[in-house]
Amino acid sequence: MTDPKFGDIVDTNFIYSEEQRNARKFGESEVLISGQPATYHAGDVVHLPYQAGETSTIEAIGLAWGAFASGINPAE
Amino acid sequence: MAKTFGSFSAFSKPPKKQKFGIEPIKSEFGGSEPDSIYTINRESSWSRWRRGFEIATASLAHNTIDYPFTYKIPLPAGASPASGNQPAIPGVFRGFPTKNKELSCHWAGVRVAGSLRFDNVLDASNVRASIASITEDKEFWYIQLAGTWSSSNTLPAPLFIPIAGTDGIKPTNGEVIEDRIITPEGVPINRDSINPNTQKRYGFVQAVVADVNQNTGVIKLRKRGSVEATPDRILVTPATRPPNVGRYFMTGTRYYCSCQDYTRRDYAYISSLGQTKGKKFPLTRVASLKPGRYEVLKIGDKVSNQAMTSAVVNRKMQIISPSADFNVPPSVAPTTQTIPGSTRDNPGVYSDFGSVYIRSGSDPSLPGAKSDGIPSYEDYTAKDNVITSLTDFWEPVLDEFRYCKHIYSMKFEEGLFPAEPSDFPVGVGSMVDWEQKLVAKTEKDQKEAVEKLLATGLSYMDIPPFNCQSPMMVTMMQKLFNIPSNFVLLQNFTMYDKTGKAYTPSQGGTPAL
Repeated sequence: MTDPKFGDIVDTNFIYSEEQRNARKFGESEVLISGQPATYHAGDVVHLPYQAGETSTIEAIGLAWGAFASGINPAE
Repeated sequence: MAKTFGSFSAFSKPPKKQKFGIEPIKSEFGGSEPDSIYTINRESSWSRWRRGFEIATASLAHNTIDYPFTYKIPLPAGASPASGNQPAIPGVFRGFPTKNKELSCHWAGVRVAGSLRFDNVLDASNVRASIASITEDKEFWYIQLAGTWSSSNTLPAPLFIPIAGTDGIKPTNGEVIEDRIITPEGVPINRDSINPNTQKRYGFVQAVVADVNQNTGVIKLRKRGSVEATPDRILVTPATRPPNVGRYFMTGTRYYCSCQDYTRRDYAYISSLGQTKGKKFPLTRVASLKPGRYEVLKIGDKVSNQAMTSAVVNRKMQIISPSADFNVPPSVAPTTQTIPGSTRDNPGVYSDFGSVYIRSGSDPSLPGAKSDGIPSYEDYTAKDNVITSLTDFWEPVLDEFRYCKHIYSMKFEEGLFPAEPSDFPVGVGSMVDWEQKLVAKTEKDQKEAVEKLLATGLSYMDIPPFNCQSPMMVTMMQKLFNIPSNFVLLQNFTMYDKTGKAYTPSQGGTPAL
């Protein structure tokens, strides 16, 4: 993958062949599929870049722990 | 060898005793050395490692029960809404068909690698926390993060969270981290990535965070159990070199499992559906009782133990955790009334306190190390019969923490091929026979479990995300995401079906297939 987008998998052991993709389908229903099915697998590596001004995952987890320490609940 | 194969312990049954012969004591800590060996065989990490490989191959042969998801992390009340890309945790739930589980599936969770990135860790001047310098001793690497850190400008959360009147908490202790980010906001490298300047592969190092020093900005990484991707694209353990200066850390794959083996909790059947001889109430032998916390799940003020709820109903977890010291109160009132906090025992819930298995001495592959000896269990330290520290925190990379066979199977699929544990079973006649029977039993179990799941289980199995706040799952979710349990909200799950299409259960979304 030369230009991965936010949330794309950049390293995986699960590259399905066309035959395997077909085998993963159940039944005879007509389903339109594009792209790589079954988004995440065990052992995948994801591309999650956050730019200045955005709230990153590590920052959000930090906010959650900080709120826990202060007795603040998540916003519903 | 025993002819029958009714239980897993039958792998190492002793030869049939002659009449009037001496029978070994059958208790867990009974003091009989032969029986202790039988227990070690059954409980060994090696057995789990070997069975994990069989389950991994079974998963490839069958259509695995995967539920990929993206979890949107809720912000605290009063925080400004996030703009742009939302803070999210990508991962996957993996169901393992299991014969002895009431609802036919054990559920394991994976938080995929790269979820947390240190190029988003900033000091007070917005300097990114790259790897500035490294020192080391025999057991650890000490990573100095870039930035200006002091007692008034400590490492930010979640590395360190100050709590008034305490030493604060460090939730990232125990995380697996890898130096796979070369440039800020850049794509993580993999084993094949080539440095254009040298035309050699970059390589990277994976290790577990043993501790952080919030005042100096130093992260302490454990050498034992570390993994290195070499320029030859080979994974070696332990790593032969430290992480690379100038790069940024990211988290590695994080696993957690809800099976009773991994959580060390006893299991019982509540319903009689689909089983004939399961226990109706969890039982813990007195010899196995250990102190421990337990959890109660509630909707409002009412206890709620059902496996699943609607995707818009959230439960709260109350942790019953008596005082940190093990001392009973200095005096007990003559009314014999139970005093809250006077004990940490919880019969019927915990069977052990964590079973951290470590090698004695340093790693044998390191210079000057000692050879393996008898495993030692270091859940805690004590002085003068007073417990001074508890050290049973999670160490996911290492075989020090005893993985269950489900996590081993996923590590095999990840390609890490986890190192073979050193506690190979002992004391039986033929190792080849023993291993072949182990493999045969695992294969038979898998086949029967899948048959049972297809025959009856699918109609009443619990599925994510609806089960994510069940008593078996909520603690797993807290450890898997590494956030407080009240920040695990069912409506924040976006799931992906087998075609890759996203759907949100709380909004009525359903899979296409």
